[in-house]
Amino acid sequence: MKKTTAAAFFGTLIVCYIFWLLITGQIVSIFTGDASWQILVAGGIVSIIVSLFAARFFIHKKAFHLYNPIRFFLLLFYCIIIFGWELIKANVSMAIRAFGSTKNLKPGFVKIPTKLKSDYALAMLSNSITLTPGTITMDVVEQDGENYLYVHCIDAEKEDMEKAGKDIKGAMEPWIRRIWE
Amino acid sequence: MSEFIYFAICFAALALCLIYRLIKGPSGADRVVSADAMDTLVDMALILFALYTGRSIFLDIALVTAILGFIGSVLISRYLEGKL
Amino acid sequence: MRIVIDILIVLSILFALAGVVGIIRMPDAYTRMQSSTNVSTFGVLGVLIAGILYSIIYLGDVSMAIKLAVLIVFYLITSPIAGHAIARAAYRSKTPKTPQTIVDKYGEDLEDE
Repeated sequence: MKKTTAAAFFGTLIVCYIFWLLITGQIVSIFTGDASWQILVAGGIVSIIVSLFAARFFIHKKAFHLYNPIRFFLLLFYCIIIFGWELIKANVSMAIRAFGSTKNLKPGFVKIPTKLKSDYALAMLSNSITLTPGTITMDVVEQDGENYLYVHCIDAEKEDMEKAGKDIKGAMEPWIRRIWE
Repeated sequence: MSEFIYFAICFAALALCLIYRLIKGPSGADRVVSADAMDTLVDMALILFALYTGRSIFLDIALVTAILGFIGSVLISRYLEGKL
Repeated sequence: MRIVIDILIVLSILFALAGVVGIIRMPDAYTRMQSSTNVSTFGVLGVLIAGILYSIIYLGDVSMAIKLAVLIVFYLITSPIAGHAIARAAYRSKTPKTPQTIVDKYGEDLEDE
């Protein structure tokens, strides 16, 4: 089990407290001026307790990486524009496949290479791949210093590893590298 | 707006259709998949009901339902993997 | 504005219908999982975005809109985690694949270990 560092603790604490403010609706009351201090203090205590126990699972290094505003806006841009477009394409093609004939599907488990190194970037890439309908990440392995993803793909016609990788990852990989590395 | 309640009924009917896969599904993984999708659809019906009544208390229930569905499906898949 | 909200919800019902039909019709557990992603992305996003528009414009309740936005973030984070937990569990518990499967690199590499 890894140790909880102070930076990891504060990074988690800030996220927890923002989540509390959003979910109790206090963030609106602060601007209109009728926030109740009991709720704010209770949220602080709860988030301190939660982040004491949970920080070591969330953050291992570079705790304040995403608190940089440029990276945060890059993340928002990626989530809304780049990833949104991939999501629309994949959703429409998957919906057509669901109503069409299921006899000529060609599913398969393919292995694709990736150049990303850091853990957060790998997690974000595999989550993006899983979230687009038609592809699910099964596993991430490291072989000879390179990282590989095993992906179950509903249309695995391409035998070649590099081509299938280009097809699945699309425009997502360079943007994720820009955000995390 | 009163049409929200009809949309909510549509989502609930879709969730009912999935009971077929939940009962028949040949393996455990099929059942987990359909239960997860059912949870999502019921959640959407709940959100539409919250919009229909205009009371945000139902949104809290929707959030709790979403969290419980997530924990449930992860837990069952850990069990199927044999790590529990 | 009302018509935009209705169109968003109807679109999301159509995508959820496609997902449900896919879950019922597809041949094996893995392809069913792909269809269930359809339910948990566009089936969710349409309703939630329509809800944000409705609660800001017609109800005038900003805290409700913020709660709906938190629900969007929550769904976008948790549904892929549940998805690949289920996929790995299905593979490790030897759920049968459909005979249409053309390549299986994962199985070959698991046998090597």
